[in-house]
Amino acid sequence: MFLRRFARPSSLMMMAKVKETTGIVGLEVVPNAREVLIDLYNKTLTEIQRVPEDEGYRKAVESFTRHRLSVCEQEEDWESIEKKLGCGQVEELIEEARDELKLIDKMIEWDPWGVPDDYECEVVENDAPVPKHVPLHRPGPLPEEFYKTLEAVMGGKLDGALKKDEPVIPATSQST
Amino acid sequence: MDNQFIFKYSWETLPKKWVKKMERSEHGNSYDTNTDCPFQLLCFLQLHTYTRVQVSIDICGVDHPSRKRRFEVDYNLLSTRYNSRIRVQTSADEVTRISQVVSPFPPVGRWEREVWDMFGVSSINHPDLRRISTDYGFEGHPLRKDLPLSGYVEVRYDDPEKHVVSEPIEMTQEFRYFDSASPWEQRSDG
Repeated sequence: MFLRRFARPSSLMMMAKVKETTGIVGLEVVPNAREVLIDLYNKTLTEIQRVPEDEGYRKAVESFTRHRLSVCEQEEDWESIEKKLGCGQVEELIEEARDELKLIDKMIEWDPWGVPDDYECEVVENDAPVPKHVPLHRPGPLPEEFYKTLEAVMGGKLDGALKKDEPVIPATSQST
Repeated sequence: MDNQFIFKYSWETLPKKWVKKMERSEHGNSYDTNTDCPFQLLCFLQLHTYTRVQVSIDICGVDHPSRKRRFEVDYNLLSTRYNSRIRVQTSADEVTRISQVVSPFPPVGRWEREVWDMFGVSSINHPDLRRISTDYGFEGHPLRKDLPLSGYVEVRYDDPEKHVVSEPIEMTQEFRYFDSASPWEQRSDG
């Protein structure tokens, strides 16, 4: 075991840091994460062509898949990919990409596209204020590309008022 | 304000055919759908990258006797990745069967058994649909509004026969109805 370790050229160890563990139980480290991700994203982009154009789903998937693919192709290192995307670890990204592929398959099988003519949807916007003593649910900041995807889906109607500039982290949502 | 983004995103992204009514409020966001759609809607919410809803918190039923489709089945879901909760509601009557959601969320098996036991709303293709909270041989569905509070049978241990027998209920006192609208004694003279 030790012989093999010394025989390996040391330059390889200096180029990329080897990930020890993901820190999540049941999720193993994937050493060639970047290649796997690029492969999955390319597959996603070809699969999503089967969804009809003009669907919000297709716009959203294309938007974030392209963004993630470009980041993966630019950066060599798994660490810089993680930092730039801000979407969690590369293993989680792989899981998300695999799930998205499964979902596209299922959506094509179910074929729920198009809105029937007599479609009516009741939209209830309940702005009743919550009493002050009730702890309000305040999730953490979302990754930046989420807003870009939201904007792509809504066709650029998202105006600057809705985008938040800096993440608001109130004391109640600090969780360990 | 922040927690509404995920809901708004999911509203734009999911196929509109599945959703009959959407409610966005600080008290809880919810979608209302038809009986054959919960499986598809929940699979979408579970697998899609920006709505990773991997945890199902609860499935409960509500009985609204005045409506035609009297039962309402309520799926409470949580996304641990984006820290957001969402509620999906379906309505059904006594004979309609709801699509099962056990395959994306395995723990749901018991909740669906509970809904079946308490209300009588069954699921199609459920792997194991049997009673879970009521007694063996109990007839009826307890949480329906037409089953009285004390039920129809009472059980007692019968010493001569040496086993538990169930008999029609015998109440020594009539069921008292407390009208809490007014603290004064209710009198009919006016």
